[in-house]
Amino acid sequence: MTTGFVLDPTACRATDNASPGPDAGVLAGKRIGFRVDRMWRAWDWISEQWADTFRAAGAEVSFWRSAGRSGTEGEQCEAEYAAFLKTIDVAVVGLANCGSCTGWTIRDAITAANAGLPTVAVATRNFEVFAHEMARRGGRSGLRVHVLPYPLNEQLREDVLAIGEAHFSGMLGTMGARLAAKELAA
Amino acid sequence: MTIELIRPGRHQETAEARPLVGRDCGPEGCEIDWLASERHEAGLDIEDFTAFAAAQGWGDGLPLVPPTESRVRRFLAENDRYPDEVVATLPGEIDCTIEKLVINAVMAGAPPHSLELLVAMVAAVADPDFELYGVNATTAPVYPAFVVNGPIRDELPVPYGYGCLGGVPGPAAAVGRALRLVMRNIAGQVAGVSSQTTFGSPGRVAGIVTGEWEEKSPWAPLAERRAGICGNAVTAFGTMGTQNVLDTTSHSARDFLEMVGKSAAYVGCNAFSGAVPFAEMLVALNPICAEIVGREMADIADVQECLWRFASVDAGELNLHHRAQLEAQGRVRGDGRVYATPEPKDMLVFVAGGLGGLHATCFHSFGTSLTQTRAIAQVA
Repeated sequence: MTTGFVLDPTACRATDNASPGPDAGVLAGKRIGFRVDRMWRAWDWISEQWADTFRAAGAEVSFWRSAGRSGTEGEQCEAEYAAFLKTIDVAVVGLANCGSCTGWTIRDAITAANAGLPTVAVATRNFEVFAHEMARRGGRSGLRVHVLPYPLNEQLREDVLAIGEAHFSGMLGTMGARLAAKELAA
Repeated sequence: MTIELIRPGRHQETAEARPLVGRDCGPEGCEIDWLASERHEAGLDIEDFTAFAAAQGWGDGLPLVPPTESRVRRFLAENDRYPDEVVATLPGEIDCTIEKLVINAVMAGAPPHSLELLVAMVAAVADPDFELYGVNATTAPVYPAFVVNGPIRDELPVPYGYGCLGGVPGPAAAVGRALRLVMRNIAGQVAGVSSQTTFGSPGRVAGIVTGEWEEKSPWAPLAERRAGICGNAVTAFGTMGTQNVLDTTSHSARDFLEMVGKSAAYVGCNAFSGAVPFAEMLVALNPICAEIVGREMADIADVQECLWRFASVDAGELNLHHRAQLEAQGRVRGDGRVYATPEPKDMLVFVAGGLGGLHATCFHSFGTSLTQTRAIAQVA
């Protein structure tokens, strides 16, 4: 075999932040922001369900819906999201439930995490590995990702809400969060 | 809600190519090793190198030309670019330099005189409005299709007649493959890893690099109409694939455009997705059809308007859930129809293909990816 040297055709990002970012801590009194999208009704249902629980625990909740990401609409979208992040203390970002929507979910979660916010991205099982890969490629390999079952969006509302309820405490754990101070003391 | 119109982002102008190293000494006049890529020892026979590249995750499964230093330097020497120039920043904030582009072009078998075309192609897909981030990640089969205008079509050459979308011998396939390798090795589009494409596409191997048969077109060249560029230019369109339209019956412009428009408007295409607020569409008319259409419609805007009217669906015939999604987006219009694109101008048209006529090709876009046109620099 004739051997020699070849040049590497690949390029990769030079930097990585492996930190998961700060814990969300006690949520009572904090402003929690959900990033939702136009694709997944299941994520609308679960985020509304979790929002009710956050509100009952004394947190404020707001929502931001991702739309088209190109053209002037895309630029408005980016600006609105940046403004939204300034109004919240904790970001819950979803839903990573397809290829491009996992990409955008993780990108938006990284933006929140890089802004210093306690951040959790929410993915479905099929896209879990992909979500971590996108986080790595985005320079935040330690990004927190909470995983819901897959398929999800195809299920009936009552089944989706049961899943949301069952996953709430796990999601809190991923965020490093507690609902109230007394719960933390207990 | 109201219908969202397509307006390009304000960042539109392509950023100047950025050098990483000062230009106070040239490649021949200083001690810098201008080729900064890591060197790997490998077998240099095609078979050995292809196996090596596969193990490294560099290849597409087809034979690859080993990118030795001498081949890369020879490619660069036939052009007028510094290897450290950053052509574009690709998803993941990864810089695509001339050096990386050339290495991938060598591997693909692209000729040195294709470099400026490749530079323009990479710059086009890197524009934020092209949404390469989503193009890479998606479950869809999308890949960029490129339409080339100007004298470079004959100089390279890029086919614009018979078989122009694929299958014609010549460098276009290697140029397309070079772009695909850049997408894989730099932009990170690897199926099952950083791309979730469910089916992929044959277009993800060598893409589409076609010319427009400007001389047979009754209208101004695509790049001139889109970006005011007269001469060498390339237009990138993120396509889900090609859809053939056979028409053996039409005689008039309206009949041809009705056949094309109605054929393009199927409910499962990107343009009618409930998750997509707007889309574009690209249509290739063959020269015979274009001549007939052009006799009746000298203004391309009339062609686009006619296509647009037919590229629509009756909302009443949609699945209820699908219709509800489109209604929520405000896309069901007063006439009860949903149109493929927000406005007639979003139906893009070019002329290409063989003189046998009979067929048109429709290209459906991906998500809200917007078409990009870039000038191709002249080699000094």
